[in-house]
Amino acid sequence: MIQGLVQLFIFQALGELVSKFALPFIPGPVLGLVLLLAFLSVLGAVPASIDLVGSSILQHLGLLFIPASVGVVLYLPVLKANAWAISAALVVSVVATVAVTGGLLKVLAKKEPTDE
Amino acid sequence: MSNEFQTHLPPISEIWVYLSGSPLLALVLTLSAYWLGLTLYERSQRNPLANPVLIAVVVVTLSISMLDMPYAKYFEGAQFVHFLLGTATVSLAIPIYKGLASLKGRIGVLLLSLVAGGITSVFTAVGMARWLGVDESLVRGLVAKSVTAPIAMGIAERVQASPTLTAIFAVSTGILGAILGRYVLDALCMTAWWQRGFALGVAAHGIGTSRAFSVHPEAGAYASLGMGLHGIVGAVVIPYAVAWWY
Repeated sequence: MIQGLVQLFIFQALGELVSKFALPFIPGPVLGLVLLLAFLSVLGAVPASIDLVGSSILQHLGLLFIPASVGVVLYLPVLKANAWAISAALVVSVVATVAVTGGLLKVLAKKEPTDE
Repeated sequence: MSNEFQTHLPPISEIWVYLSGSPLLALVLTLSAYWLGLTLYERSQRNPLANPVLIAVVVVTLSISMLDMPYAKYFEGAQFVHFLLGTATVSLAIPIYKGLASLKGRIGVLLLSLVAGGITSVFTAVGMARWLGVDESLVRGLVAKSVTAPIAMGIAERVQASPTLTAIFAVSTGILGAILGRYVLDALCMTAWWQRGFALGVAAHGIGTSRAFSVHPEAGAYASLGMGLHGIVGAVVIPYAVAWWY
């Protein structure tokens, strides 16, 4: 377990370094993700230690959003004033996104007889 | 004997000052609220309306306002949980790698749909919000809301949006997508699990993905792939798009 955690932290740190010194417009953790993905592709498999720790963290991803989301208390007045408009925008947007992604996928996949 | 014990007990206010000064209170509060959320979610047969994160946020928010604890004080303790978001983002490489291994040459189709879906997500949300006269300080928080929350918050910092608002909108989007997604996909007569899953992952990231996993494993695998790819592409493209737009 410790081994996997250390490996994940190393990739996270590498990502932060690359972000700081080379690609400041991409968040460090995303670069860490890309580096780890490259590392896994080179290995050709996911080492058990990384799989164990990474999958446990992802299983409880929701927990990690809580501290930031509680910051909603700072925005309650402005959110209340815009509640209906924001909700409408969120609903329309998610329905449209599912429809466009799914619809296009369905149309494009039909054109590829190699699929299925 | 009992009298002696009582005299040694510090006044309750002193205990309180001590506890609220250490990060433990915020940590215990966060973890137990999440635990409560998970329990209720399981009890409700995983009804997407009983989202554990939503429940936990409501519980913590109410608790800290009852305790008169300022948000900054709470975050001081809870930041240890928050820190792991970066590690979680790095870990997303695992489902993406596993998903890529089972692609069977669908990557081109998937990427095209992803880009179209991502553009739709940003433009419909920002367009609708502007049209309905939403306060401009909130509109920016909508830009990254379809990207998985850990990455969305990183993007938010780069486009001068509030990471908090972005996280709230991202979680709301995930819940809405998990609830509404199936009706949209049914209306489009989509039957292939991989297509249904991918669309949910792109539109409703982590929460949509766990929904997809609970319906079908193939849908779940493609949903994680959709969420992960949307995160990478979004992190690269959205800051540029915002800089160009404003």
